[in-house]
Amino acid sequence: MKQKTGIRIGGGFILLLVLLIGLLIWNINAGSVQLSVGEIFRILFGGGADDTANRVIWSIRLPRIISALILGGSLSVSGFLLQTFFHNPIAGPFVLGISSGAKLTVSLCMIFLLSRGMVSSSGTLIAAAFVGAMISMGFVLLISQKVKRMSLLVVCGVMIGYICSALTDFIVTFADDSNIVNLHNWSMGSFSGISWENVATMAIFCGGALILSFFLSKPISAYQLGEVYAQNMGVNIRLFRTVLILLSSILSACVTAFAGPVSFVGIAVPHLMKTLFGTAKPIVLIPACFLGGGVFCLFCDLIARTAFAPTEVSISSVTAVFGAPIVIYMMIRRRTGGAQ
Amino acid sequence: MTRTGKEDEYYIKTQNLSVGYDGKALIEEVNFSVKRGEVLTLIGPNGSGKSTILKTIVGQLKRIAGVVLLEGGDIRERTRNEIAKKMAILMTERLQPELMTCRDMVSTGRYPYTGHLGLLSEEDKKIVEDALRQVDGLEIAERPFTAISDGQRQRILLARALSQQPEIIILDEPTSFLDIRYKLELLSILKKMVREKNLAVIMSLHELDLAERVSDLVVCVNGDRIDKVGPPEEIFTSDYIARLYHMEPGRYDPCFDTLEFVPR
Repeated sequence: MKQKTGIRIGGGFILLLVLLIGLLIWNINAGSVQLSVGEIFRILFGGGADDTANRVIWSIRLPRIISALILGGSLSVSGFLLQTFFHNPIAGPFVLGISSGAKLTVSLCMIFLLSRGMVSSSGTLIAAAFVGAMISMGFVLLISQKVKRMSLLVVCGVMIGYICSALTDFIVTFADDSNIVNLHNWSMGSFSGISWENVATMAIFCGGALILSFFLSKPISAYQLGEVYAQNMGVNIRLFRTVLILLSSILSACVTAFAGPVSFVGIAVPHLMKTLFGTAKPIVLIPACFLGGGVFCLFCDLIARTAFAPTEVSISSVTAVFGAPIVIYMMIRRRTGGAQ
Repeated sequence: MTRTGKEDEYYIKTQNLSVGYDGKALIEEVNFSVKRGEVLTLIGPNGSGKSTILKTIVGQLKRIAGVVLLEGGDIRERTRNEIAKKMAILMTERLQPELMTCRDMVSTGRYPYTGHLGLLSEEDKKIVEDALRQVDGLEIAERPFTAISDGQRQRILLARALSQQPEIIILDEPTSFLDIRYKLELLSILKKMVREKNLAVIMSLHELDLAERVSDLVVCVNGDRIDKVGPPEEIFTSDYIARLYHMEPGRYDPCFDTLEFVPR
C-alpha cells in the first residue's frame, strides 16, 4: 500500500513533466509564423535560422511561454495556500476578490504614471498589485471573522471582486489616453506583451515565494488538521497565518501585475492535482500544483492565441471554460458526498 | 529535564488559575494537580466549563490569571516544540482531513520530532506502527480517516496522541457519541497506556459511571467554580452528585452508579 502511493506520486510527476515538455514544444511551434521542430531546436540552441523566426521565438513566444508557466504555477499554489488557510476547497485568489483588488490598484497606478508620461516598471506593478491584493485580503479576513459558513465567504469574495472590477472599468472608461487600449487588454487577462525584464522580475518574486511555500510544507500539513491540533504540534499559529497570507498575496499579486486577472486556475488545478496524486500532503502538492498550473496555463494560452487566430481571446475566458466545470463538479460532489 | 525521581511529585498543576473567554473569567481559583500514572477527570453539568479549563491548559485559550505548572515550571516558559513533545491532545473538534489514511493521521503525531520538511524516518514509522497496534488499528490503517466509524476515529486519534510519545494526554469528552462498547474499549486502552507508559491524563467525561471507574482523582466543575476535588469514592455519593447536577436528592444511586427516573 505504501509502495502504491509512491508509484502514484512518481507517475503523477512524470505525467506532468511529459505534458509540460509537449506543451512547451507545441507552444513554441504554434502561431502565425510556422516553424518545424528542427528549426526551433536550431534557433534555441545556437542560432542559424533567419532573423524573423529568431525574433518571433526569442522575443515573443519564449517570454510568453515562460511567463505562462511561472504565473500559472504561482496562481495554483496561491490557490492551494488560500484553501489551506480558509479550510475551504473552493477558496482561491479569483473568487475571493484578491485578483480583482490587485487589478484595481494596478490600473490606478498605470493610469497615474501614464498621465505623467512614464511607463511603469515591473517592480512598481508588483508593488501596486500587492497593495491591492492585501486590501482585498483584509476585507475577506474581516468578513471571515463574522461569517463562519464557507459558501457565504466565497459569495462575499465574489462581491468584493465585482466591486473592484466595476471600479476598474469605470476608471479605464474615463481615463483618456491612447495607451488605455493596452490597459484594456491587460485588464481582461492575457499573457501577451511580456518582456524578458518582466520575466526576470516575476521569476525572482514568484520563485522566492514558491520556495518559501515549499519549506512551509510541514506547518501547512499540521494546519490541515485545524488550528487546535496545529498549535498542539508546536506551530506558532499567528506567525504561520500571517506568512501564509503574505505568500499567497504575493503570488496572486505577481500574476495580476503581469497577466491581469486569470480565473479558476487557483481552484481547479489544486483539485485536479489532489485527484491525480491521491493525497493532500503539501510536500507533494506544492510542486504538483506549480507544474499542474503551468501545464494548465500553457494549454489555455495555446487555445487563447490560436483558436480564433489572428484574434486573441482573453486567457481568463479560456481558463474559465475549462476551470469552472471542474469547480461546479467539486461543489456538487461535496454536497452529495458527505456531511460537511 | 531533571526529574527528581520522587514518584509522588505532580506532573501538571494549576495554581489559582482563572479561565474564560475574552479576558472575562468564567471559573476562578482552579487548583488541582495530577501525577504521572494518574487519571484526573473533570465532571460537571453541560456548559459548566470543563472544556474551557482543558482549552486553557493546552494553550488554546489565554489564561486570565494564575499559572499552569509543568514539572514545576510555568508552562509558558517552555518552547512550543518542547510542550509538543510532552503533551498530546484529543479534542472535540471534528477533523475532516482530505485524502488522509488513518496511518497518515497517526503519523501527524510525529510532527515535533521530524526535520524541516516533516519527512518520517524509519524509527518514526516504527513508532506509528506500534501506536496503531496498541489501539488495534492496524486493520484500518490504510482506510481513509473520513470513512471510518466514530469509535474507530477516536481510537485512531488516541494512537495519534500516543505516537507523539507524550508524558501527558489531555482529552475533551473522548467518549461522547460512542456506543457503550466503544466507550469501554477506548477507556480501557487509555488506562492500559497510563499504566504501561506512566502517562498523566487529564480528561473531561460526561458519563459518571465511567468517570468513577477510570479516575484516580475527580474534579467537579460547577458553573463559576471548582466545587470539589477528591478521589472517586468521596465524590460519587448520592447527595453530592445530585447537588452538582442540580437534581433532587435520591435520584443518583451510588451503589449501582445509576440515575433513577422518578415519575412525577
